[in-house]
Amino acid sequence: MSIFGNKEKEENQPEEKFNFQLGSKDIVNQSTLAKDVQIHGSIEAKDYINFDGSITGTIKSKTVNLGRTSYVKGTVTADQITIEGEVDGDIQGKDVYIKSSAKIKGTIRYSNIDIQDGSIINADLSYS
Amino acid sequence: MLATEKESQETESNDLNSNDSKTLVVGHGVRLEGKIDGAMVSDIAGNYNGKIKSDSVNVSQTGIFIGDITGSNINISGKVEGTINSDEQLNINQSADIKGTIEYTSLKVSYGAKVQGRIQHKGVVHNFNNSEEDAPNINNEDNI
Repeated sequence: MSIFGNKEKEENQPEEKFNFQLGSKDIVNQSTLAKDVQIHGSIEAKDYINFDGSITGTIKSKTVNLGRTSYVKGTVTADQITIEGEVDGDIQGKDVYIKSSAKIKGTIRYSNIDIQDGSIINADLSYS
Repeated sequence: MLATEKESQETESNDLNSNDSKTLVVGHGVRLEGKIDGAMVSDIAGNYNGKIKSDSVNVSQTGIFIGDITGSNINISGKVEGTINSDEQLNINQSADIKGTIEYTSLKVSYGAKVQGRIQHKGVVHNFNNSEEDAPNINNEDNI
């Protein structure tokens, strides 16, 4: 399925909002899964996953961005996780950014966390 | 610049004190145990062990609080062990170190803060229907 294909993302078309976090040149592979994608299973990538669909299962990558329309039931593991959608399950990341539109239920394990006003969180937090 | 800021804050709090505005200050180095209720503004910069119920609660960077905090606007920059219950805004700043249970209405956690324990949003029942905004525009026909 083509949706799993890694797009070679050129530097000249960056995602504006994540500019400050991405070490630009490090990110060569970026996978985008659109809003209407539904997955039962797991996704794994080396660099960057931009996920707007819904998944029951696991997501694993270096950087994971869960967009506003995203829904994850399961586990998210990454160095850097940005959440704008819904997560029901386990989140494990070094840097976890929870945006105002996020809804989270479950557990969050982090080294650094940043939570914005407006997010709805019912979770157990622990840091390492 | 910092100094002037501090000075203005101090004069402000002095004014509050002189106006009998229900301000509580537990200064840096002060140890206090007990139960406090009825304060409007509470600043904890020392060690406090017990319960506090106040409209606004600030636990500053030097503050160490063990017990229960209940309030509307709560700012944490120091150490807290116990429960925090906020009706309005809860700010957990970068230097904060919290262990325990948090019940909140609106929560902001700054990058670098340490939070361990349960976080619970108040009021709204958490629902994972994942239904899109499925309320279509209902255009009432006017003037029938």
